[in-house]
Amino acid sequence: MNRNNIWIHLGLALIVVTVAAVLGQIDRWRSSLRPMMSETRDLARPVAKPTAIKRSPSDSEPEVLVRFKSGVTASQIEKLTAKFNDRVEDRLELVNGLVAIDDLDNADPAEVAAHYARMTDLVEYAHENFIIEADIPDFTPVNDGHDMPRPNSPNDPHFADQWGLSNDGRNGGKKGADIAALSAWSKTKGSEDVVVAVLDTGVDYTHPDLVANMWVRPDSVPQYSDAQLGVINDLYGFNAGDNMADPMDDNGHGTHCAGIIGAEGDNGIGIAGINWNVKIMPLKFLGRGGFGSTKDAIEAINYAIDRKQNGVNVRVISASWGSTMRSKALEDAIRAAGENGILFVAAAGNSSTDNDRRPHFPSNHDLPNVISVAALDNGDLLASFSNYGSKSVHVAAPGKAIVSTWLKGSYREASGTSMATPHVAGLAALIIANEPDITMAELRKRILDSVDPLDILNGRIFSAGRINADRALSN
Amino acid sequence: MPFDQNSAVERARQDLASRLGVSESDIEVSAVTSKEFPDMSLGAPADDEMSAQMIADGWEIKLGAKGKSYEYRADKYQLRLKGYNGKNHVIAY
Repeated sequence: MNRNNIWIHLGLALIVVTVAAVLGQIDRWRSSLRPMMSETRDLARPVAKPTAIKRSPSDSEPEVLVRFKSGVTASQIEKLTAKFNDRVEDRLELVNGLVAIDDLDNADPAEVAAHYARMTDLVEYAHENFIIEADIPDFTPVNDGHDMPRPNSPNDPHFADQWGLSNDGRNGGKKGADIAALSAWSKTKGSEDVVVAVLDTGVDYTHPDLVANMWVRPDSVPQYSDAQLGVINDLYGFNAGDNMADPMDDNGHGTHCAGIIGAEGDNGIGIAGINWNVKIMPLKFLGRGGFGSTKDAIEAINYAIDRKQNGVNVRVISASWGSTMRSKALEDAIRAAGENGILFVAAAGNSSTDNDRRPHFPSNHDLPNVISVAALDNGDLLASFSNYGSKSVHVAAPGKAIVSTWLKGSYREASGTSMATPHVAGLAALIIANEPDITMAELRKRILDSVDPLDILNGRIFSAGRINADRALSN
Repeated sequence: MPFDQNSAVERARQDLASRLGVSESDIEVSAVTSKEFPDMSLGAPADDEMSAQMIADGWEIKLGAKGKSYEYRADKYQLRLKGYNGKNHVIAY
């Protein structure tokens, strides 16, 4: 195989993974209708091995993608593949149970796939590593609304996929491993009087699921005026990266975070935000690639403070970003936000490291208005990528395989402490909607004191728990 | 500048050849691997840079020249050189 072919194969392998994720999602819809599988399965089921064929020695990529059923453990998969002289080449974390398998006998991939597909008590599906000539889709499509609605749930068709809000145990999740949104909504569904600033890549403020909850500068608030920039007509927020008024998202990340906080609920489309009603103020400082400068972050924070001082009820900044580099100037800007009654919710980072030992900023700034957030999966486990820290990471929230809004009216699943952070920012807004006069210090304490304790977080997270919206509203 | 895997590799080769003052034909592509990176700076933040903390899909590109190895990281938005002379560099975005 020549070098060009290697690149083509590698690129196509990536496409296949994405397609497999799509298939996996489809399968999730199907599997939700099936009875629960037995945990004990017979791995010794006799299945004839396909005949070997000659293949190119350089053709070393995995031949088959297999998605095992929920409950089949990693060690069972290893034993099974080893038994057939196959090797698990890669685990594709974003789809539960999906592995890429390399057949060491160099058998016909179609036969190997069929061999696995016949193990119907263990395998959801198996297919060879297709060659597909198509653009790589940006993301994994999610539930198109064919799941059965849950009692008392909003009519948003993707709500069934929002395990972070209400987890009924499907897709390998743990029932109740959620923020108890359904019961919290019996107390409040948010308020349009509360403004949450999403300091990020911008927000697609035309998204059908967000447009009703986007902040628009009221006539009573003067246009933003800056010594260097002059007067800016900040109708929808601020773009510090380009020093302009338009904070339209050109990446998608900020739109995803915004949807978690405040996608319009019970509107018959897409998802439900933690707040069905809220006002989201986009502050763009991260560029199209999802990265930006500390200076621009500070500019955007200054904008939020200025708006607060001009009568806009900015109570929370959601900050799903960071790095290991400390900036005193950024710390000062966040402190100033706190002095203006603004809670600053920050992602703990995705390096699987201890922030007490290897600090991550801005989440590690030891300020009274900062909450640092770790990510959980749908089984109430700390996500494998999430940072932690018994002193410096304060709470945990859903952050793996989170469905939310994306660019151009779409939706996608994403993972990271980026996704956990807006769960906490959204909860903060919900509490404020319920108790408009709560102080920033009381708000922070409420969020930390009302968590669901999880043993696995003892010694790893300051509060040792997952946020609980229902309890936070009950105090 | 949007990248796909092939264009990212080619751009990385061009960059390394330019840095080392050698011909592109002297740059060996050791490996290209699809990866999940921890954030949108692909785990290789430049100085004074903050990045979205979302798991990002991309490619790890290992190049070799003059007996040394170099690591580039790319996704559809950007190309980075990791740990060159002790620093990360944004090559293109």
